[in-house]
Amino acid sequence: MIPLPGIDASADFWPAKAARAWRAVRQAAMSGTVAPMTDDDAITPRRMAKWPWAWACAVWGVAWLLMLGLDRHIGLAQAAITLVLASALAAIWLPVLASLATTTLAVAAFDWFLVPPKHAFSVEMSEDMLLLAEILILSWVVTALLARGRVLATRARRSARHADQLRHLGDALRDCEDPLARGEALCASLRNLLGEPPKLLLLRNETPAPADDQASTALGEPSADDLVGLWHCVRLCRQFGPGTGHEQELPALYLPLRGAEDEAFGAAMIAVSPAEGVDEEVLAQAQALCDQMGQLLHRARTQRQAESAHARAQGQAVRNALLAAISHDYRTPLAAIMGAASSLRDQGSKLAPEQRERLAQSIVAETRQLSRLTDNTLQLVRLDAPGVQLHLDWESPDELAGVAIDRARKHDPERRIKVWAEPGLPLVRCDAVLFSQMLENLIDNALKYSDPPAPVELTVRRHGQHIVFAVRDSGPGIEPQWREKIFDVFQRGDWRSASSNSAAQRGAGVGLAVCRSIALAHGGDLKLRPRSHGGSSFEFWLPEAEAPRVEDRDQAMDGART
Amino acid sequence: MTLRVLLVEDDRELCRTLKDAMSAEGYEVFTAASLSESFALLTGLGARPTPGGAPVDMVLLDLGLPDGDGEQLLAALRQKHTVPLIVISARESDGQKVRLLDAGADDYLVKPFSIRELLARMRVGLRHRGTSVAPAVTRYAVGTLSIDLGTREVTLAGTQVHLTPTEFNLLARLVRSAGQVVTHRQLLMDVWGAEFTEHTHYLRLYMAQLRGKLEDNPADPRLLMNEPGVGYRIVESQG
Repeated sequence: MIPLPGIDASADFWPAKAARAWRAVRQAAMSGTVAPMTDDDAITPRRMAKWPWAWACAVWGVAWLLMLGLDRHIGLAQAAITLVLASALAAIWLPVLASLATTTLAVAAFDWFLVPPKHAFSVEMSEDMLLLAEILILSWVVTALLARGRVLATRARRSARHADQLRHLGDALRDCEDPLARGEALCASLRNLLGEPPKLLLLRNETPAPADDQASTALGEPSADDLVGLWHCVRLCRQFGPGTGHEQELPALYLPLRGAEDEAFGAAMIAVSPAEGVDEEVLAQAQALCDQMGQLLHRARTQRQAESAHARAQGQAVRNALLAAISHDYRTPLAAIMGAASSLRDQGSKLAPEQRERLAQSIVAETRQLSRLTDNTLQLVRLDAPGVQLHLDWESPDELAGVAIDRARKHDPERRIKVWAEPGLPLVRCDAVLFSQMLENLIDNALKYSDPPAPVELTVRRHGQHIVFAVRDSGPGIEPQWREKIFDVFQRGDWRSASSNSAAQRGAGVGLAVCRSIALAHGGDLKLRPRSHGGSSFEFWLPEAEAPRVEDRDQAMDGART
Repeated sequence: MTLRVLLVEDDRELCRTLKDAMSAEGYEVFTAASLSESFALLTGLGARPTPGGAPVDMVLLDLGLPDGDGEQLLAALRQKHTVPLIVISARESDGQKVRLLDAGADDYLVKPFSIRELLARMRVGLRHRGTSVAPAVTRYAVGTLSIDLGTREVTLAGTQVHLTPTEFNLLARLVRSAGQVVTHRQLLMDVWGAEFTEHTHYLRLYMAQLRGKLEDNPADPRLLMNEPGVGYRIVESQG
């Protein structure tokens, strides 16, 4: 056989003809030699293949007119070439058997009409005998080659169509996220290929678990029996039904959605009559479509697994880092408490009353530090949890500022803390407990990082559509490269090492991190701005909200209840 | 007569420390580590020949007991006596703390607290004993401010301050529990009425008005203190 692997090779087979003629060849091929297939019907073009017999008859008619009409003027050899040409042209339109038959008939007629002695089948000269044989063989060869070309062209078209189908399904699957919608895309493709609506079973995981409703999705309303078959197919991970070589007598074709070797992520079932069977190539195509779906589900599962593994690893890393940061922060005040308490226990009698007093003070102060750290850690964990709920209420900015200042003064009575609130501020919607905690942390932070006697200020003012709470210190300020990082729970330490305050190395990580979490939970933002004459300003910008109206009942009240 | 204190606290270390501290101040302290133990103790002590006849003069109740809710103890006590009860809570039991205050607890302390703070709260609580029967406090004075609940007169540095009826009612409610926290709910209920208990914004605005009239710097209050998420407290009277 001459190797003709595709359309292009087939074109070589007929190089003299123009593209239009070649299209005609392909049309003829579609309608003629190849047995009709389900999936070809939908897309076979018929425009040029409408009158194949008429075209063939016309060719033969012209050829015979030429041969008989010019009998006197041309030699036997020219007439023979004309016959071969006509045979080849007719073979373009005619099915292979008809073509062979007409060619044979034509050779016989050629012998009868043109080869001397005329009007007899006997041949005078032995070279004429040879000529006849050559004409016959040459015509047959041309017909056979054309037929072969048509078969290959058909296959090439079908392959191209199947590749197209796979690509379309691939696109459809890529575009949709929902497994059910993905199933619809496969249903559409299979229906297009086999002509029957399929029934599908899709699994989230390859492990078959028929009892779990969440793990599987069924499409095309399969009956209980269908489902049994589908599950069977999933478990076997093998196709069966007509045309597959397994359980051929079944009224339907079962195809597994293979994601990997021996791993089915579902199954498809298409009604097929056992008598007709399924073409091998169509079966392969259907399986390829199913496998594409299976691979997609496999990929999705792998991705899910990878994501959850990544999330676990990341969660673990965050937890570890958080625990490391926090335990470091706990250790420092604990060491101070331990030192002071053990000193009081072991050396109490040798110490002067003032020394004992100082140790006791230190224990109280460090305990307060631990308490704040615990509050912050708890709050940080709580705010990081999904679905955290704030106890939102209408609060007065004055009061929030007042509380924070009052608490800070209790902890550090020596320091000057100034507070100023713009008069006539509207109520703000917030969680008062969290909000106070944030302001307290910011003030605590400002006190820690600026040395006495520099005052710390808390101001509340209106700025456009925001209420801005600003905590300002006159400390050394923060290096630009640290300004964003200091809100990270794991950062601690050297960003304000210029401060002579030894507490500067402690616990700011958790404190500022929780401040930012609280700010974000309120739909606001916490910003750090350097002050022009040194120091930092930590500002919480809270969007203004419209407070509900308050009825003035004093006019209406007659007298007062006490 | 020695004042009796019932301390309900399940942490043994803290319990001992607090008992020692209170004993040093002259209180007779009974400790219970659970609700059932505290009920048994109260029954065992029996009534005493004091006004009200309560078995103890004060209860310190820790939340998060192993065998139940502190509300049960409060409810049982309130059925017979007006004995002052101070709630000791950890930060995470905020909601329960407010519920108990609304149900009639007198005050609360958040762990960790100092002994000084505890003793101060206890003194306030004991001073208010029986206030719900007959208002003990009619005159209140702190710094240059003086309030007379009987004549409804409020003077600041010698000048009379004009308050609207609602403002005065709010102030009076706080004064009657001076030194103790009064929850938002209680204030709204007593001043505006039961249908206003969720309208905290009323409270905010009237408190702001009161502060504007009575405080030097409303954003830095020295008189009307806010307890975020819980309520308000007017500082203790000095007069």
